[in-house]
Amino acid sequence: MQDESTSPPKQDPSLLPLLRSILLEIAIYVPIVAAYFWLILRFAGDKLASLYQDSLTLYAIAATLAIVIQGVLLEVLTSWLLRRFGLRH
Amino acid sequence: MFFPISQVFTNPLVLAAIGFVVGLLGGFFGVGGGFLAGPLMFWTGVPMNFVIGTDLAHMTGKSIVAARRHRALGNVDLRLGLLMIIGTIPGIEIGAQLIEIVDKTGQADIIVGYTYVFILTVIGLFTGWESIRTIRKKRTDLLPAQDVLDVERIERRSRLFNIPPLINLPVSGVESVSIWSIIFIGFFTGLLAGFLGVGGGFARLPMLVYIIGVPTHVAVGTDLFSIVISAGYGTITHSLKGNVDIMIALTMLTGAGIGAQIGAVGTRYFSGPTIRLMFSILPLIAAVLVLLRIVI
Repeated sequence: MQDESTSPPKQDPSLLPLLRSILLEIAIYVPIVAAYFWLILRFAGDKLASLYQDSLTLYAIAATLAIVIQGVLLEVLTSWLLRRFGLRH
Repeated sequence: MFFPISQVFTNPLVLAAIGFVVGLLGGFFGVGGGFLAGPLMFWTGVPMNFVIGTDLAHMTGKSIVAARRHRALGNVDLRLGLLMIIGTIPGIEIGAQLIEIVDKTGQADIIVGYTYVFILTVIGLFTGWESIRTIRKKRTDLLPAQDVLDVERIERRSRLFNIPPLINLPVSGVESVSIWSIIFIGFFTGLLAGFLGVGGGFARLPMLVYIIGVPTHVAVGTDLFSIVISAGYGTITHSLKGNVDIMIALTMLTGAGIGAQIGAVGTRYFSGPTIRLMFSILPLIAAVLVLLRIVI
């Protein structure tokens, strides 16, 4: 027996643009991430650690917010990079 | 780099690289990747009590990235995802209670381990068998569509899944399905998540495809949406217990962010049966890893 979907995915048979875009994106992404380590994690690290020691409730809120905000920001950044370097999606 | 919360010295680039690999798998297959990230984090020196909570936190961020990308591709069925969550949360809680009962027997590791191996092996073998049959039939033009199944979906065969209220899922192309079957999938995968300490994506994806009849691409995107909620819930509960090193999670997420994007976009280049065939290898790898952990 068969079950068919109503909307097959849009296929792009050419993998070359994908690979080119990925390499370009990674080349730009790596320095951004390196800068992120230095600027954000180093400054925020001590504050988060002291919050962890003082109040786990506040730490839980801060941790959840931090991961959600970084997730959204990363998606915006990587989407922009994918668009900027010609990957159709 | 020193991570003061878990008191660990480790290389942030290695953590980002682990995040990248797990993100790639997550974006492509719609799984959390806890079966891979957990052992790798432990290998880099992260204490075991921080591994599960920190992995859940990183999984939340990574799934946000991948789910947003899949949504842009039209692969997220919000109605389906939200209904599943109704069952997922109580499932996780009951699973966690069950593990406490099993723990009292003193055989928890062995019982959980063999249950995990059995479920993973069944899922891997069945998904692999079905996708190979589908791909073979497609090659001989017996199956015309892009995303087809070689088995009749269970929901159509069982009266149990026709209990009202019935709803339609236009994004998934499912005309009529019982709400209870969706909640059941959420509950069952939540139960597995709570009992086995995993995300449950490895079970949810094939259940959505084979039970409800959701196309593979939409199952991947919707699964990721569910992981955002369930892993987010897990992040909060584990943070309250002090089991999350958010610095490590944020570091892993920098790699996972790009991996998840690439994985999500990569689904456009493969048909549903091909994705399912590649997916079928993951549970088998995880089963071997768990088996080794039990035996050694």
